[in-house]
Amino acid sequence: MNGWALFGPELFVFGAALVFLALCLVKSPSPRRDFMVALSLAALVVVAGLAALKAQGTLFAEAYRVDLFSQVFKVLLALGLFLVICLCSRLNGVEARHHPEFYLLLFICTLAMMLLSSAVHLLSIYIALELSSYSLYVLVSLRRARQMAMEASLKFFLVGITASAVMLLGLALLYGATGAVTVHELARILPGAADRPLVQVGLMLTLCGFFFKLAVFPFHVWAPDVYQGAAHPATAFIATASKIGAVAVLVRLAAASEESGTYLAHALVALSILSMTVGNLAAIAQKDLKRMFAYSSIAQAGYVLIGILSMSPDGYAAAIFYCLALLVMKFTGFLVLVAVAFDGANIEIAELAGLHRRSPLLAMALMTSLFSLAGIPPTIGFTGKFLIFNAAIAQGHLPLVLIAMVNVVISLYYYLMVVKAAYLLEPALDPPPMQLPAAVNVLAVALVAFMVVFGVYPQAFIEMARFAAAALLK
Amino acid sequence: MTYPAAADLTLTAAIAATALPLAAFAVILLLTRGFPRLSAALSIAAISVALVCAGLLLVRHGHLETPLEYSTLWMAGGDIVVRVGFLIDPLSLLMLMIVAVICFLVQVYSLGYMAGDPGFARYYAFMSLFAWAMMNLTLAASLLQLYIFWELVGLSSYLLIGFWYEKFSASEAGKKAFVMTRLGDVAFFIGILLVLLNFGNLSILELNSPRAGFLPPAVVTVSALLIFGGIVGKSAQFPLLTWLPDAMEGPTPVSALLHSATMVAAGVYLLARLFPFFSMSPAALQVCLAVGAVSMLLSATMAMVSRDIKQVWAYSTISQLGLMIMGLAAGDYVAGVFHLTTHAGFKALLFLCAGVFIHACGGNDMFEIGRRGARHLKIPMICMIIAAAALSGVPPLSGFFSKELILAALAGRPSPIWLAAGLLGAFLTTYYTFRLIFIILFPRGEAQAKDAHADGHNSEAGYRVMAAPLIVLAAVTGVLGFGGHALGRFLLQGFPGPVPGAGHPTWLPFAALGATAAAVGLAWFEFGRRGADQVGFVERVEPLRELFRRRWYIDDAYRWLLDHVLYRVFSAFCAKNDQKVIDGAVDGLGGSMAAAGRILAVLHTGSVQFRLLVVSVVLILLGLYYFVYPLN
Repeated sequence: MNGWALFGPELFVFGAALVFLALCLVKSPSPRRDFMVALSLAALVVVAGLAALKAQGTLFAEAYRVDLFSQVFKVLLALGLFLVICLCSRLNGVEARHHPEFYLLLFICTLAMMLLSSAVHLLSIYIALELSSYSLYVLVSLRRARQMAMEASLKFFLVGITASAVMLLGLALLYGATGAVTVHELARILPGAADRPLVQVGLMLTLCGFFFKLAVFPFHVWAPDVYQGAAHPATAFIATASKIGAVAVLVRLAAASEESGTYLAHALVALSILSMTVGNLAAIAQKDLKRMFAYSSIAQAGYVLIGILSMSPDGYAAAIFYCLALLVMKFTGFLVLVAVAFDGANIEIAELAGLHRRSPLLAMALMTSLFSLAGIPPTIGFTGKFLIFNAAIAQGHLPLVLIAMVNVVISLYYYLMVVKAAYLLEPALDPPPMQLPAAVNVLAVALVAFMVVFGVYPQAFIEMARFAAAALLK
Repeated sequence: MTYPAAADLTLTAAIAATALPLAAFAVILLLTRGFPRLSAALSIAAISVALVCAGLLLVRHGHLETPLEYSTLWMAGGDIVVRVGFLIDPLSLLMLMIVAVICFLVQVYSLGYMAGDPGFARYYAFMSLFAWAMMNLTLAASLLQLYIFWELVGLSSYLLIGFWYEKFSASEAGKKAFVMTRLGDVAFFIGILLVLLNFGNLSILELNSPRAGFLPPAVVTVSALLIFGGIVGKSAQFPLLTWLPDAMEGPTPVSALLHSATMVAAGVYLLARLFPFFSMSPAALQVCLAVGAVSMLLSATMAMVSRDIKQVWAYSTISQLGLMIMGLAAGDYVAGVFHLTTHAGFKALLFLCAGVFIHACGGNDMFEIGRRGARHLKIPMICMIIAAAALSGVPPLSGFFSKELILAALAGRPSPIWLAAGLLGAFLTTYYTFRLIFIILFPRGEAQAKDAHADGHNSEAGYRVMAAPLIVLAAVTGVLGFGGHALGRFLLQGFPGPVPGAGHPTWLPFAALGATAAAVGLAWFEFGRRGADQVGFVERVEPLRELFRRRWYIDDAYRWLLDHVLYRVFSAFCAKNDQKVIDGAVDGLGGSMAAAGRILAVLHTGSVQFRLLVVSVVLILLGLYYFVYPLN
């Protein structure tokens, strides 16, 4: 296949980013125009991603690999971008003159994640990761509430560069020990070099860069402040799309280091347990809805890690499936958040009181998404957790799964607190019913239907995840 | 199962008949709630197509040697297989036809009866929901599928009884019906599970095949009795019979459709459906026979003292359902199903006539209806007399023939007590029926002033819309009895169960007619003749009247059980357990979790330097772990 065609979706996203670069230079701000352009371009990105789903080949001297695995992740990323831009119709957390920049950074970050899902050269992985991180640092700082945003952005940045430094150290150790520069060489060399401390520790440290992205313990420390400080759509993007790229490269690296002995698996088990426990316990104490989402994300990252550390095709497939599930579930939560916090300010969980009367549909969407996050059947979250736990048990991680299940029960507590606020608490003063645009209603219905229908009939997506995981190991 | 060439059309018709009412329900609820006339048109159009499909199926498969089953695997695990699909055999075709005809007629009738009601569209939506559930119940190929629709039928019954939910008694009655039938359904469901565990299959055809004979007799008896529990609930038999009279709080067409002709008959239908299975256990049949007899007699006595026209027909329904169960339990499949068919026609007619009177006179009290000149409404009055005569078993109306068959079956039992019960039941039935007729025909005293409510609905067009279904049903009642032999032949094609021996004592028809005549005479003496004081012989004995009026104190017994056993002992224990043990444990756990969460949250509020320190420490620990872990 022609090289440019293989690179099609990425080029398209890059072109879209250039459009916004041009719009940045236009004097008169027009949020409506920016939104419509972004929405239509993002829809086209989804189309481009789908069109290139079956593409296969390598580019740039074997540094860039296009296969079903990467293409599935690109579609997910495109979908995430599109959904997040759907939230931007009233982008009033960001000043109007910054809107083109906002979209520019979203597109650039999506581009970087797409590169990340296909990159197989260690350096290209690093560069893609940095590109996505830097665009997010700026994105966070763009909020109208400047002081909070700057603080969050700075914390994000400091933790991020620390993680990058650790990762670079890991890459250097790995290269020094094996001389391998691509993931495939690594997979070939690792079985023979598994007993060397440099290799093991190097691998471990390399993964730290992605733990930062995924907000896995101990690199999760940025998440609460950043979730709270960024504008709502930016938070939604960080919570959904930006995790997908990290999962993609983590799965790729895990698949390459399957034969590297048990140390890595042990370390991942420890981090997974810590992530789940710390995330879930800290989430209980939260009052701010976005901070709660942040800790919930940390816990969810722990579940994803279980699928990855199973290091089996089923485990990877489960992780991919859960990624899709997370994208939809978390996005639904943010859809409600953006609709309720109409002025772009943060809201507390208690402010959801009476939501079921103001907008029954949104209350139901919120409830479905939280139940799905908690893993209550028949939602897609249940199916995803089921697949992950199943894969882990098949690899002999029963104690880990038991701990994860205890965590699921703990998480139910704070998810139900939010549902309680939306359904049972009476608001202090009776707020009027919400007037929502028809598009939001349609979107909410579609998301709820998606979570329930594909929770009951997940076969199509499970197949897709299996094929993607199989393409990875070829 | 081989599919004949005609299979496709049959399947299409079955799907259309069972799916269209659901579509109507969904469209009405989602889209056309604001347009009452359009909603009614949609609902009636759906049921008309279903009726045509049912007729088509009946014509195509008039000669069906073996039952047709279309089914697809729904669930399989280990030895257990659950299939869903359609089962088309003479019984299901007949029942489908009955349901479609009565649904159609009642929906047309409702155009007049419900005109102007604020919930008009909602009413038609629920009617469509019921039609869908009932038709699927009829054609269900497996017990589980049947159970699902059995519950859905119960749901639509609940919704329709409580249709005027602003009325406290109506919503209470809906609740009562729901809870009481649910009691039976629990038994039914346990029975299904028992069958599934022992037989590994829920297909109705399989259950009725000789293969089920290999089950241990005790299992067959216990599961048959548990399934019969469901029948007792749905068909309002003893001891779960008191919900049906209360269910008359719903609109009268609903009573005609659900609570006399079709839904409550679903219990009897289930018994007929599983007749070969039940026949394997003589003990279970004996219980059915006894329950049927007790229900028939008890409810007949209750009907003798009621003043509410709809309540009389409700008690009569319980009584006739008991009679059908007796007929089936006595081993005569055709008799039971035949009476089910004829009863559906004349009982729907009785209710619809009652509906016209209630509509015109604005009340349920039969004395009041008589005083307000109900006899001047010629069509409903004549139709009601025809239907009442059919109910009493007056030849040549349909009820005579079917009752005759059942009595003949009872005469075939070794013990004469069942026949005696049947004849006594026939006597009581005729007595309370003609008591009502004479009271309405020959009113005593002056009518009280009409309230404005009654006049509001009295439009000529509405009356004509309501009269048309009455005439159709009256004609059916007149001629259906002569189809008994043809129906018997149709039903017995490919029937796997025992076929009853023909022949009964020659004196039986005369005995039955004698009982009927005596009852009409007694009713005439007490209520009809000039100068009668219109007080029945039962009402003269105070304790007896009170006993019958209070429904043999069945409701009071339930109340006592609820108050003294359930609430005071059981609920109190559960509540205490909940408060002390479960809440205590959960609160303790939750408290400690929340405390841990707060500590962790404090860790996260530190400065960036502190956080990066944590990161480094964790990384160092992880690195050190590498050197420790080979040791273990």
